[in-house]
Amino acid sequence: MKFQDWKPLGYKTLYRELFRKHLARQNDLLKRGRPTGWFFSFHPSELIYVFDVVSAFPEQYPAYCAARGSSMDLIDTSMSVGYGHFICDYFKTTLGSIIEPEKATQPTMPKPDFIVDTRALCVAHHEMAEVFSKIYRVPRYVVNYPYWTRDLLGKVDELTKIPERIDEFYLEYCVEKLKGLVGFLEEVTGEKMDEAKFKEVFRVSEETSKLLVEIPRLMMAKPTPGSQRELGDLVFVAFFVLGSSYAYEFAEKAYNIIKDRVKRGEGVVPEEKCRLLTFGIMPWHSLSLYEYCERLGATFPVNLYVNTSVYLVNPEKPFESMVRRSLHFANSTYEMMEDILENVKKADIDGAVLFENTGCRITSMIIRPLADLLYSRLGIPSLIIEAPQCDPRVTPLGKAKMQVEAFLESLR
Amino acid sequence: MLDDFYQFFRSKSKIGEYKEAGRKIIGTLCNNVPEEIIHSLGAVPVRLLGISQTTENARSKLPSWICYYARRILEDGLKGEFSQLDGIVGMTTDDTKMHLYSAYTFYVKHGFSYLIQTPYVRDELSLDFFAGELERFAVKLSQYLSVEFDEEKLRSSVRVYNRFRRLCEELCDLRSDDAPKLSGVDWMKIMLGSTCMLKDDFNKMLEEKLEHIKDSEGIKDYVLRVHVSGTDYYDLEILSLIESMGAVIVSDDLCTATGYFAGFVDEGKNPLRSLAERSLGCSSCILSSHPDSLSIEDRIAFIKERIKKSRAKAVIILRDRGCEICGHQYPLIIEALHSLPVLVLDMDIPVSVEQYATRIEAFIEAHAR
Ligand code: SF4
Ligand code: SF4
Repeated sequence: MKFQDWKPLGYKTLYRELFRKHLARQNDLLKRGRPTGWFFSFHPSELIYVFDVVSAFPEQYPAYCAARGSSMDLIDTSMSVGYGHFICDYFKTTLGSIIEPEKATQPTMPKPDFIVDTRALCVAHHEMAEVFSKIYRVPRYVVNYPYWTRDLLGKVDELTKIPERIDEFYLEYCVEKLKGLVGFLEEVTGEKMDEAKFKEVFRVSEETSKLLVEIPRLMMAKPTPGSQRELGDLVFVAFFVLGSSYAYEFAEKAYNIIKDRVKRGEGVVPEEKCRLLTFGIMPWHSLSLYEYCERLGATFPVNLYVNTSVYLVNPEKPFESMVRRSLHFANSTYEMMEDILENVKKADIDGAVLFENTGCRITSMIIRPLADLLYSRLGIPSLIIEAPQCDPRVTPLGKAKMQVEAFLESLR
Repeated sequence: MLDDFYQFFRSKSKIGEYKEAGRKIIGTLCNNVPEEIIHSLGAVPVRLLGISQTTENARSKLPSWICYYARRILEDGLKGEFSQLDGIVGMTTDDTKMHLYSAYTFYVKHGFSYLIQTPYVRDELSLDFFAGELERFAVKLSQYLSVEFDEEKLRSSVRVYNRFRRLCEELCDLRSDDAPKLSGVDWMKIMLGSTCMLKDDFNKMLEEKLEHIKDSEGIKDYVLRVHVSGTDYYDLEILSLIESMGAVIVSDDLCTATGYFAGFVDEGKNPLRSLAERSLGCSSCILSSHPDSLSIEDRIAFIKERIKKSRAKAVIILRDRGCEICGHQYPLIIEALHSLPVLVLDMDIPVSVEQYATRIEAFIEAHAR
């Protein structure tokens, strides 16, 4: 197959700028002696900015280690002290960095003073929060959102996470638990929540969320305007720093770039041969696989994993908004997968490349039913690649490339 | 004598009888589903446990590395082994159980299904929420069964189940004797039988046998008292192997045995609230805790209490290699059991006994009295 010129959107510089600002904030807060919390994806990130606490993420840091090659050693360290092989790579990598920090990519995460144990995706968050709070002997606050069903929500818009309805009984419980989280943060910081700041952060969050939701929507344009190699980090913005001014600055620039490109009708490669969907946590060690496919003419207008991370904030209902963050298809019964088909149809997809992240049940157990649904409803075939997101040893990049090439041949 | 119980488990003959008598059969995917609610509505709760030794059908639907408990359930479901079921109830206890409910209801259809949402924490707000959630489940099931939900009937079912737990506790205590009256294999057979019988019938049957068990001589010729730890483990082969090598299994914390019955329901309070408290409060719910403590600490305390009572001198962990709870918790549990020797066995199906024999034998020999 012939390789084509590859023209990414150029988000790399924007991410660099975002990380620089994020780290500067962290350092400043650490110097001022502000407490550090550990948080998990789909947590209410706005509260980090309302309370001016330092935030660290036992999912983002391992992804960073994977991209820089230290995660394998850290995974081995965790397993050598008895943790299971078939559990989350993020957990094993983070734990390895606690046990043997000298093997970890620097800077390691600051030690937590508290842990916010929200389960809006996987119970593994709760399982690892327990282990981390036991190791560090720090307080932890639990919020468990429902694992949603059609009965409780009706139909849900895949990108905005706006449902037909939310069953009041579950909504009220979650809202009360989130109010309890505010109380918990007041306790750990020793400060009452500043209402004006709360409003301001949610205003920024709304503005940012409007832009972020548009980016995956614009990715569905023909030809596919950008690369999944650069879209992947969007989850960092949506999961972890939503509510910050630097997330807004990022989103504004990123949105304008992709919008202009769509307007110009320009694609990531000159000749798009097939359009693919992808799902699964991205193998952070092998993101170049996306570039490889794209250079071969196979672009990715839909990344269901990135799509789970965005949602539309409503500052009039901040607590309900925090709950709506959990309304994604990975945290729902399989009947809810129907709701993603609409975008799949719009994006005119030819095939799917799905990553089974060994050790991650919440994403991997969906893969085969998703493949079955795509095929039975839309005739879309799938390639399933076993790829733990921080450990390249299971499927080295070379092997993955061969699998993808064979799949692309079969799509012709 | 005790094989009757095990036969009910293997043949599901009791379930067939209930079905013929017009009762609806409701399968549960987790210990923490309060069976009392199903029982009070006149249906028969059955704790689902698959018996397939290979899972080739489930493999095309689920990753091959997840726990074999889940793979077997789906395998048996796909093969039609659970065709007697009218409905299924899951619970959001862990990632596997959440998605297993989804996978099961996606690929195998029964008339009724419900997923109970669990809060993982025992603060007042969450206990109230959970009692409300149980009420919603009760109402949904009563609508399906066309039976009115009745609090008095629920109280009566709670009494049947508390009786069941008292009997199991009494039976379990007999394992603590110097000469344990019951082997670990027989204990598991009885427990498995209890999962697929109406507890009223089970209680009667066990009451009849209990005196006989009490009067037995007990097991004297053992060299090591062992506690067995794990989650949804229920294969007899490894338990038999351990006991054939001179050990006797005197206690356990398995979700399929002691974890299945442990913890009483307070009969003095509103029954739904009491059921919520038991479900979130006993260590068979291995992921919920008081807000100021951790569930892993509750579980460690539970294991230690069982070991103290049974005077076990060693621990054998039967770790389903795909079990997420085992994967996260065992290093901390082992650390907390520092005074006892521990053997960890990674399990999968089909169970190959030879693979474990040498290690078990060496462990027993090294720690024999
Ligand atoms: S979703 Fe999967 S990869 Fe992410 S934290 Fe949970 S178990 Fe780990
Ligand atoms: S507790 Fe372990 S064995 Fe049981 S369903 Fe969960 S993962 Fe599987």
